[in-house]
Amino acid sequence: MDIPVTLAHGLSLAAIYGLMAIGISLMWSSIGMINMAHGASFAVAGYAAWAVSEAAKPVFLAAFGKGIAGTAAMAGLTLSTGAAAGAAMGALIYLLAFLPIHDKPNFPVRSLIVTLALNLATVQVLLWWFGPRQKNLPKIFGTGKVEVFGISARYDQIGTILSTFAILGLVLLWLRVSRKGLEIRAMMQNPEGAVLSGISVRWTALPVTMLTGALAGLAAILLSQTIFVSPTSGAMPLIKGLTIALLGGLGSVPGAVLGAVIIGFLEAVIGAIPFLGQRYVLFGTFLFIIVVLIIRPRGLGGLLDEARK
Amino acid sequence: MVDVLEIEGLTAGYGPLRVLHDISFRVGMGERVGLVGLNGHGKTTLFRAISALVGWQSGSIRLLGREIGGTRSSGPGRRTPGIVRAGMAMAPQGDAIFPGLSVAQHLDCGAYTPTAWRERRRRREMVFDIFPPLRKLEHALVGRLSGGERRMVSVGRALMVDARLYLIDEPSLGLAPKISASVIEALFSLPQDGRAIVIAEQNVALLSGRVDRMVGMHAGRLRGDVGHVSLH
Repeated sequence: MDIPVTLAHGLSLAAIYGLMAIGISLMWSSIGMINMAHGASFAVAGYAAWAVSEAAKPVFLAAFGKGIAGTAAMAGLTLSTGAAAGAAMGALIYLLAFLPIHDKPNFPVRSLIVTLALNLATVQVLLWWFGPRQKNLPKIFGTGKVEVFGISARYDQIGTILSTFAILGLVLLWLRVSRKGLEIRAMMQNPEGAVLSGISVRWTALPVTMLTGALAGLAAILLSQTIFVSPTSGAMPLIKGLTIALLGGLGSVPGAVLGAVIIGFLEAVIGAIPFLGQRYVLFGTFLFIIVVLIIRPRGLGGLLDEARK
Repeated sequence: MVDVLEIEGLTAGYGPLRVLHDISFRVGMGERVGLVGLNGHGKTTLFRAISALVGWQSGSIRLLGREIGGTRSSGPGRRTPGIVRAGMAMAPQGDAIFPGLSVAQHLDCGAYTPTAWRERRRRREMVFDIFPPLRKLEHALVGRLSGGERRMVSVGRALMVDARLYLIDEPSLGLAPKISASVIEALFSLPQDGRAIVIAEQNVALLSGRVDRMVGMHAGRLRGDVGHVSLH
């Protein structure tokens, strides 16, 4: 087992899973909805970025040439298209799965069903529109390897890890300092207290769905540096994100980060152990999650929270 | 002059349970009303019906002449932000605490109008003047405060905007007598300038002599004025 390579691989997996899990966790704790259409946001963002980058390729080639400027411009375009498409999907989820039913009885189960239906329908629409062939996104971080602290890592792994840190840092900062962030945190902690403070659930839910959608979109662009974009490419990140959110204790952002790091490394390690290998990755991670949830049904989150009610 | 609160024929409850039976109730400008009655007789439900937080309700509720009641059987809490913005502030039983926010952030949550938000620092200072123990706890997490301090934060949050109607539910519940007396004292030391206060309370002795009138509540019905108690 090559430990440095495993480490880099594990950290980049953790970054992408973290983006998905935090989106799911944030949405559950603030508006009480488990978003099964998170995978659809992921896939739609991947296709949108592919379509836009295909259209922009000749223009950028003429304008910037093949150098670093072209790659950087393409990276900016791909990432922003992915985030925008994810946010648009988030707004669609808000319109179809939140707004009509959010004040009806049994909203958590109803929204689970609606978003699941939305997920299946989106996959079919993508399949019908783009066909089953996989698409290849431009390599936004270039190709090659570099030595960091004696560890040889691919550009895309380093790019993924760094941009995830930047994105998550910005999101958490926004939640801390902005007024909307304050309203979202108030709603996460006590929905009834929030409405009594004049905070409208309907108008706070829209930025939440759009933000989590954008996170899924960014995760799609980052993961598509190593795998291809396909109609069903959102399924695995959705399942991983959901189980990691559960592992972290649904609703706890630090728990989701911790869960993502653990699962990312676990996958990398299991995949690198010679007598186990890739076949046992899913088996191993789910076994781990099941064992943790048997011991701590509330997940890892409660261990990290500063204050309890 | 239009009354701050006019309730006519209000019936409300949760699921199959009917808690309030045909209630009519008025609160005038600047009036201080004590709502007294035993546990489980509907004081809290009356407050929750005014803020559209009960399971279902019917009947007319007018806040400053504007209808906020009506018949409703689902979506508790959906209309609440609108009612709050129309001029009602409520400090609920159980305090509606955001445990992970600091005292300052918690108070800021109450400053929802653009003006209140802009001058939130000044308004926080005002709340600290009313409840001095909170000043040194400004950056402490609300989840770590004692019961009395939480009650002060909860009432203080309701004071962050200039509402016309304040509903304060059981300010003395679960507090040591000395602390509950100081919370009530602080509430009545507020300048009266047109704001009406309704305080639900079991401990009649805490209110007597301080409110303009007291209304009794029994088995989901109002039992008329308990007696006019003058302020001075």
